[in-house]
Amino acid sequence: MAAAADSSGDGGTSSGEKTIVLVSSDNSARFEVREAAALLSQTVRRMIDEAGADASGDGITLPDVDAKTLAKVLEYCNKHAPASSSSSAAEAAPPAEGEEDLERFDREFVRVDMGTLYSLVTAASYLKIEGLLNLTCQTIADMIKGKTPEQIRKTLGITSEFTPEEEDEVRRENAWAF
Amino acid sequence: MSHDSGSSAGAGVESLSLDLLAHALAGVRDPRDRKSCRLASRAFARAEAASRRAARVLRREALPRALRAFPALSSLDLSACAGLDDASLAAALPVPGSSAEPPGLLLPVRRVLLARASGVGWRGLEALVAACPRLEAVDLSHCVAAGDREMAALAAAGLRELVMDKCLGVTDVGLAKVAVGCPGLQRLSVKWCREISDIGVKLLAKKCPELRSVDISYLKVTNESLRSLSTLEKLEDIAMVSCLFIDDDGLQMLSMCNSLQSIDVSRCHHVSSLGLASLIDGQRFLRKINAAHSLHEIETCVLSKLSTIGETLTVLRLDGLEIFASNLQAIGSTCKNLVEIGLSKCNGVTDDGIVSLVAHCCDLRTIDVTCCHLLTNDALAAIAENCRKIECLRLESCPFISEKGLEPIATLCSHLKEIDLTDCRINDAALQHLASCSELLILKLGLCSSISDEGLVYISSNCGKLVELDLYRCSAITDDGLAAVASGCKKIRMLNLCYCTQITDAGLKHVSALEELTNLELRCLVRITGIGITSIAIGCTSLIELDLKRCYSVDDAGLWALSRYSQNLRQLTISYCQVTGLGLGHLLGSLRCLQDVKMVHLSWVSIEGFEMALRASCGRLKKLKLLGGLRSVLSTELLQMLQACGCRVRWVDKPLVYKG
Repeated sequence: MAAAADSSGDGGTSSGEKTIVLVSSDNSARFEVREAAALLSQTVRRMIDEAGADASGDGITLPDVDAKTLAKVLEYCNKHAPASSSSSAAEAAPPAEGEEDLERFDREFVRVDMGTLYSLVTAASYLKIEGLLNLTCQTIADMIKGKTPEQIRKTLGITSEFTPEEEDEVRRENAWAF
Repeated sequence: MSHDSGSSAGAGVESLSLDLLAHALAGVRDPRDRKSCRLASRAFARAEAASRRAARVLRREALPRALRAFPALSSLDLSACAGLDDASLAAALPVPGSSAEPPGLLLPVRRVLLARASGVGWRGLEALVAACPRLEAVDLSHCVAAGDREMAALAAAGLRELVMDKCLGVTDVGLAKVAVGCPGLQRLSVKWCREISDIGVKLLAKKCPELRSVDISYLKVTNESLRSLSTLEKLEDIAMVSCLFIDDDGLQMLSMCNSLQSIDVSRCHHVSSLGLASLIDGQRFLRKINAAHSLHEIETCVLSKLSTIGETLTVLRLDGLEIFASNLQAIGSTCKNLVEIGLSKCNGVTDDGIVSLVAHCCDLRTIDVTCCHLLTNDALAAIAENCRKIECLRLESCPFISEKGLEPIATLCSHLKEIDLTDCRINDAALQHLASCSELLILKLGLCSSISDEGLVYISSNCGKLVELDLYRCSAITDDGLAAVASGCKKIRMLNLCYCTQITDAGLKHVSALEELTNLELRCLVRITGIGITSIAIGCTSLIELDLKRCYSVDDAGLWALSRYSQNLRQLTISYCQVTGLGLGHLLGSLRCLQDVKMVHLSWVSIEGFEMALRASCGRLKKLKLLGGLRSVLSTELLQMLQACGCRVRWVDKPLVYKG
C-alpha cells in the first residue's frame, strides 16, 4: 500500500525529485509523495501556493481526509502522476504509464467496499482531483445500471425512508412524467 | 464487480452531499435506470432530480411539478403531452418579473420539443420564451395550425435551431419575423410550409448569415431561392426533396457555396445529371449525396465529378435510377470510403455491379438493394467477403436470394444489426444462419411464408438484443414460435404478427412477457379473444400502439382490460372488433394518453354509443378514423366539439367484408 511512500526516507526520491509531505486529518500518518503526484490535487496546489516555501517542512495537513483514505488516494495519484515534475507542465504532460495500463489499474483500484468508495468520492471532491472524482462517480453510476430500486438499495447500502404514500407518488410520477 | 453492502466501518452513502450524489447520478443515462434511482431513497430521488438533464412529460398535470423539480433541465420534450394547450402550458411556467419570482428561478431549458402539440399556440409560446431565457432550439413540427403569429412569438427567443415542418399556416411574413429575430439561426427546417416563397427565403439568407443547415423540401420555391441560399458562407447541409420548380440552373447557382457537406435533391424531377455535376464541381467537403428518384439515369458527367469528392463521400443514395454494372464499377473505384449506398428500385443492378462496387468499398455499413430483382446469392457472397463491417442490409423483394446466400453473411459479418428480407424466398435455414448474428436488432421477414416456429427458435437462441421483429403474413407461425421469441428476445419493442392466423390466446400470453413492447400489430388474428388481450394489457405495460383490426373475436372484455391497464396507449385500431358502445365509452374515457383511434365498422355500437364514447374522450383525441356513413348521423354539436379540440376526422367508405 502507500505505506511504502513513508519509508522512502527524507530528502526526496532516488531521482532527486521534489517531494511533498501530506498529513492525514487525525495526524496519524504522514505521506511523502512526488510533487507531480501531489499536484494532481488542485486543493494541495492552492495550499502550497498560499503557504509559500514554509509548508514543505512540516507537511500539509488535510483536515478532511483520514489516513486510510489518504493512502488510497495517493496510490491513485502516484500512478496517474505525469512523468515530469515541473509544476506548470504537470497538467499538460501525459502520465508516465501507458493508457491501457492505467485503465487496468483504475478497474482494480475501484474494487473496494462501498464505505471506502464513498470516502474516496468525498476525498476526491475535497482534494479536487478531477480524474479520481470522475472515476469513482462513474463506478457508482455503473453499479446502478440495470438494477431495480431494491437491488440498488442493497448494492449501495441505502435504506429507503419512503413512506408507502411517497413511494406511490414517485411511481405515479415515473409513469406520467417521463 | 462484487461490492459489500455498506456494512463495513466505512462511510455510508449518507456521507455524500447532494451535489456529489447528483454528480454520480449524472453518469446514469438510461431512462429506466434513472427511474429506479428515484425509487431507491429520498436522497436519491432528490439527487436524481438535481442531475436530470432531459425530461419527457406525458401528462399535463405533471408539468408544473416537473418544471420545478429539475433545476438542471436542459431539454424538455412535450410532444407526447396529452391535451397540452396554451392555458396549461402558461400556468405551468414561471412568470418573469412577478414579485414572487426572482429571475434566477426562470428555467435553464435550452431545447423544447413540441412536435404535434397542436393545442399550443402563440400564447403558450410567448409564455415559454419568457420563462426560458436560454432557449436555443424549438421543434414545432406538425402543428398544422401554427402560423405567423406563432413564429412571431418564437422570434423573440433568438433561437439557433428551429424546426417548423408542416406548420401549414406559416407564410413569408412569419419567416421574416423569425429571420429578423434570430440572426444567430444555424438550423432551419420548413418542410411542407408551402406558403413560403422565394421572397421569404431571400430575406432569410440575408438576415441569418450563420445558417448551416436548411431544409426547404416540398416547397414551391424556384431557382431564385437557391441563388439566395448560395450566399450563405457557412451552409453545410441543404435538403430540397421534391422541389418541383428547381432545375439544373438552380443547382449551378448553388455551387457558389463550397462548404457543402450534405445535399438532398431527391424527387426533384427537373434535376438532371448535368445539374448535379455542376453542383458537385468545386466542392471539397461533400459527404452525403441523395439524388434518389430524381435524375433519370446517372450519366458520366456526374460519375467523373464524383472522383473529385471520392475521398470525403460517405453516403450516396441513387434509389430509383437506372444504374448499370459499369456505373457501379466507376462509383466503387472513385468513392472508396462509402459507408452507405442506396440502390433501391434501381433497374439494371446485377450481381456484377455489386461485386465490382464492394470490391473497392470495404467500409460499407449500409446497403439498400430493395427490389433489385436481378440479384442472386452471388451478390451476397461478394458483400460478405468484402464488407465485414456491414450493419444494415435491405434485401426486400429480391426473389433469387435464398438461405444459401445468407450463410456467408452470417458467418463473416458479425456486426449485422438490421436485415430486411421482406418478400424474399427464404426458409428456416436462413434463420438458422442468421442466429449467429448476436448483434441483430431489426429483423424483417414480412411475406416469408416458409418461415415457421423452427426458424424463430433459432433466432431466439442467440439474438438477445433484438428490438424489432416483423412477421407480417408469416402464416406458418404458431404459439410455440412466440414462446421461443418471448423467452429469448426480451428486449423486443416492435412486433408485427398481422395475418399470422394460427396464433391464439396462448401465444399472446407468451407475448405478454415482453415488458418493453411498445408497438404491437395483430391484424386479422381471428382466433384471439379478450383473454389474450387482457394478458397483453397486464404484461406489456409500455404499450403505446396496438392494432387489432379484424380481430373479430375480441370483445368488450378485452378492451376493458386495455382501459384499466394500458395507461400509456396512444394509438389504437379496433375496426371490425366486437365492441359495444359501453366498452367503447369505457375505453375512450379511461385512456388519458389515447390520441389516435381507428374504429371503422364497429357494427355493435349504436349511434348513441358513438356519441357518448366520443364525448367521453373529452378533447384528447387528435386523429380519428370513422365510417363515412356516420358523418350524417352524428350530431353537429359533437362534430364541432371534435373540430374545436383539434381532432382531425377521416371518413372512409369501405364495404363491410369479412376476411380470414
